[in-house]
Amino acid sequence: MAETPLRARPALDGYNRTVGAVALAEVSGLALVSAAVPQGGDEAFAAALAEGLGASRPATGDSTAGDRHMARILGMQPDQLFILFESPDPDRPAESVLAALGGAAYVTDQTDSWAMLRIAGAGVRSALERICMLDLADEAFPEGRVARTVMEHLAVIILRDGADSFLLMSPRSSARSFLHAVELSVLNLSE
Amino acid sequence: MSGPFRFDGGPIDRSVSLAFRFDGRSLSGHPGDTLASALLANGVRLVGRSFKYHRPRGVFTAGSEEPSALVELRGGAWREPNTRATVAELFDGLEAFSQNYRGSLRRDLLAVNDLLAPFLSAGFYYKTFMWPKSFWERVYEPVIRASAGLGRLSGEADPDSYDKGFLHCDLLIVGAGPAGLAAALAAGRSGARVILADEDFVMGGRLNAETHEVNGRSGADWAAEAVRELASMNRVRLLPRTTVTGAYDHGVYGALERRTDHLAAANGKPRQVLWRIYSKRAILAAGATERPIAFGGNDRPGVMLAGAVRAYANRFAVGAGQRVGLFTNNDDGWRTAADLARKGVEVAAIIDARDRESVAEVPGARIVMGGRVTATRGRHGLKEVALATGERIGLDCLAVSGGWNPNVHLTCHHGGKPVWRDGIAAFVPGDLPPGMTVAGAAGGAFTTAAALIEGHRAAVEALGELGLPADAGDAPGASDEAANVAPFWHVAESRGRAWLDLQNDVTVKDVVQAHGEGFRSVEHLKRYTTLGMATDQGKTANVGALAIMAEQTGRTIAETGTTMFRPPYTPVPIAAFAGRSRGRDFRPTRLTPSHDWAAERGAVFVEAGAWLRAQWFPRPGETYWRQSVDREVLQTRGSVGICDVTTLGKIDIQGRDAQEFLNRIYANGFATLAVGKVRYGLMLREDGIAYDDGTTARLGENHFVMTTTTVNAVLVFRNMEFARQCLWPGLDVHLISVTEQWAQFAVAGPNSRALLGKIVDPEHDISNEAFPFMACGEVGVCGGAPARLFRISFSGELAYELVVPARYGEALMEALMAAGEEFDAVAYGTEALGVMRIEKGHAAANELNGQTTARMLGMQRMVSKRKDCIGNILSERPEMNREDGLELVGFRPVNRSEELPSGAHFLSIGAEAAMANDEGWMTSVAWSPELGHSIGLGFIRNGHARIGETVRAWDGVRGRDVAVEIVSAHFLDPDGERLRG
Repeated sequence: MAETPLRARPALDGYNRTVGAVALAEVSGLALVSAAVPQGGDEAFAAALAEGLGASRPATGDSTAGDRHMARILGMQPDQLFILFESPDPDRPAESVLAALGGAAYVTDQTDSWAMLRIAGAGVRSALERICMLDLADEAFPEGRVARTVMEHLAVIILRDGADSFLLMSPRSSARSFLHAVELSVLNLSE
Repeated sequence: MSGPFRFDGGPIDRSVSLAFRFDGRSLSGHPGDTLASALLANGVRLVGRSFKYHRPRGVFTAGSEEPSALVELRGGAWREPNTRATVAELFDGLEAFSQNYRGSLRRDLLAVNDLLAPFLSAGFYYKTFMWPKSFWERVYEPVIRASAGLGRLSGEADPDSYDKGFLHCDLLIVGAGPAGLAAALAAGRSGARVILADEDFVMGGRLNAETHEVNGRSGADWAAEAVRELASMNRVRLLPRTTVTGAYDHGVYGALERRTDHLAAANGKPRQVLWRIYSKRAILAAGATERPIAFGGNDRPGVMLAGAVRAYANRFAVGAGQRVGLFTNNDDGWRTAADLARKGVEVAAIIDARDRESVAEVPGARIVMGGRVTATRGRHGLKEVALATGERIGLDCLAVSGGWNPNVHLTCHHGGKPVWRDGIAAFVPGDLPPGMTVAGAAGGAFTTAAALIEGHRAAVEALGELGLPADAGDAPGASDEAANVAPFWHVAESRGRAWLDLQNDVTVKDVVQAHGEGFRSVEHLKRYTTLGMATDQGKTANVGALAIMAEQTGRTIAETGTTMFRPPYTPVPIAAFAGRSRGRDFRPTRLTPSHDWAAERGAVFVEAGAWLRAQWFPRPGETYWRQSVDREVLQTRGSVGICDVTTLGKIDIQGRDAQEFLNRIYANGFATLAVGKVRYGLMLREDGIAYDDGTTARLGENHFVMTTTTVNAVLVFRNMEFARQCLWPGLDVHLISVTEQWAQFAVAGPNSRALLGKIVDPEHDISNEAFPFMACGEVGVCGGAPARLFRISFSGELAYELVVPARYGEALMEALMAAGEEFDAVAYGTEALGVMRIEKGHAAANELNGQTTARMLGMQRMVSKRKDCIGNILSERPEMNREDGLELVGFRPVNRSEELPSGAHFLSIGAEAAMANDEGWMTSVAWSPELGHSIGLGFIRNGHARIGETVRAWDGVRGRDVAVEIVSAHFLDPDGERLRG
């Protein structure tokens, strides 16, 4: 496949900044594809997920890891999952998932729909409590938990991907407003 | 001793001096002081003037209930009026100013109001300023407003920043006095998630103000040790300087944390944070507020609550006076005399309203049982009190105690009514908000021992309810102090006015007068007299007034009841409610993929919802917006133009039943749409009104992608989700928004195919034969980038919409413009877009205003009757199908040089401009550079049959009346030859 000379611009221009005990960095290079399970297709989907990505199907609000393409499967709603992975063809990730799942799901590319921002470090929960209404304590939001929420009027998907690390995804068009809001939460906190 | 009013000892740090200024006078205090304690330590008693009568006022309390010692803090834009000196923490360099006077604080010219008092009683302005009627707004009210009010706003924007946040806990404990600390220790030691909030900057509550012992040591030491232990627990969060201001649904509490008010400067950090606390259980341990006794001249600086005098002595090492008297109706008040005597202050007199034996011996004090204070003297501060017996006693401070009122406020925020308890002559909490319990003085348990036990027990019970292990040990031990309160509200023999509400200047006489004028309900009493309506919300005034009201009506206080307590408990700055939502941060902004490209080229942007869209692109020499827009239109129609239309809603629809689903969503049929084709679709609401339109492309057997209008992107998605989940759950159909996924560009004009031929990879045939009007398909662009191409047209020209993943959007815009150079391609904005769609006669938001039927748009035949769809049945209502109904047609001015007025109403020639003659209205107008005159779209009765007729476009708002000719809505290329070419 020909390499396009079109320049890809990351939603946050590769933003990366550490303030005090909190590191903020745009995550780029990961593909995100939604997979909707056809009615009556749960078993076939589970089998395809295990076969194609080496992953089990997470419950809504949870995530599982696959053993191929660094995949993480996020349970978004009863019939919808997001697959976060390193796509072998970065320009056609939906096709990659379709191939991996052998048509057991309806897939849609969401890679460019969401700006991805990782917030990590010892101060991460203190920063997020200024902007995130969810309870992010260990007992309420353990590692691997995922949720849709709202921060400063903006839709956000939040995934806890480490002990002190969260992946935040917010719509691309408002990504700069989102980054500003998260950055301000960190700055408001630091001494 | 450091000055005549400062004692040795106490928790005040004498090693550090803090310089501050009050009304320009340099003074000093120490860490641990409030502004009030520092003023008292410096012998300052006159702190401000009262609201209405401009009477001299001083410090009355030692807490957030303060009605009198209100000051302005800081200067310039930072000036904050009506700040309670009793809660303002002293810092080095603090500037404070007294407020509400004209001239000087000591010689306030408006003190004349006090002489006019007989004319200024409750409701005076309802009666006095009745004539002439017009004078109320223009004369009386401005004068009253100018002389009333308290502090002054800076008039500048608040330079501080504010923030909000969200906290979660098993147990929220409101108040860190003995009950709150005991509860926090019990819950914290058991491992529960605890938030302990207290409005004070030192936790401990009354333990810091009293000399009580806990577990055999001083209460203050025990409290400090408890706070240290709690601070070491990682599941306990201590929030000092934090007032829990409201109790809301589902265990949610509002709390204001003052983060930098105690610092000289905020250093760019938020001054205050408004927390939303989600709790599973809450314990209200908010303590109690002492209440005064009303007697003649009881507002004079030097008259203070007895508990406050004790707090200043024990916690702040400050003597509120050098010759102090006590007026009480309970044993608790006597502790003030005892504590002061221990500090070496002269206690000159104890006047106890109870007719019983003396409670204690206080050396040197004149003790009067069954006594009454009837009057006070001293111009700027207390010098002497007079008793009912006629005896006069020289005093510079009179400590008053009328008993204590539990702080029940938060228990009432769900509508609970406090209930009267005779034993303590006070209201205690009634029905509680779900999940809340009350411990300690807030529930009427006034002794230290009872507070500790109740706090401990409440925590253990809350943990039990939550199924959490309780490993709390025993409650701390303390003694039960005697109170023996005998209700006594005001001195009937008073000479001069006896004050109830010090902040709003309401007297016993005002309450009596209100009753005399027929006000019986406490809610009416409150509003007529304004008692309890100031920023202190009557914390020291309400119960006293209720008692007077009860006396007047011959009812009990219990029968009289209280007014309703609502959030917030203490004032919350509006800026804190706003948080960071100010200026550009008020709401987020959505940017298109070509935004930066457009901005670099000087585009003028317009808001479309949260989006910023390029409206037009001015070129050098263009001084008027229409020059730019006309050029963009002519260049597009003449050659090719490019417009970023990413803002359109895009919905990916997949499933075995996706086609059937669309057939039911759209009014027109989608059953026959072939793969690789696009169709225009019209959506109706359930009531048959047209609400959105767009195109839907079939990319595969079970795969469609829909576009919606920009403004309805979310609404359409939501409605379709509802239809999918609730109306037709049996259909296999799945939706996901791809609005953000794809950058979308309209490429329009006779050279659009030639331009795209340079962009679309050569293996894709986009000739008219291979890719005709309304074709769609996946293509590669610029050497392999994934893209989708749709041959659709909003402009009426040969046109395409080209779609790439959003990350390539900016680069594609550059590539299109570069490839278009040889065609003189132009970037066009939303104005040119609008002009071209009006020229073509396409309906847009102006036409789809929520009243529009398919018939009005000339699309009634599109509403398929061979299938069911949303809105189908109700679109058949007779009124929506009248033969003489409104129809969308075009309009042009009879005199072509005239501009058409948008929004004008159509009238027949010669008809009077009246509703009865209204025939419709002009929805959209534009200057058509192609035609060289103004054109318009509009709805007019029976429009199609009237093509060629002349009517008037009458615009009463702008004073326009233009003769217009009814024409086809399709001003250009009515047969659509261009777009099929």
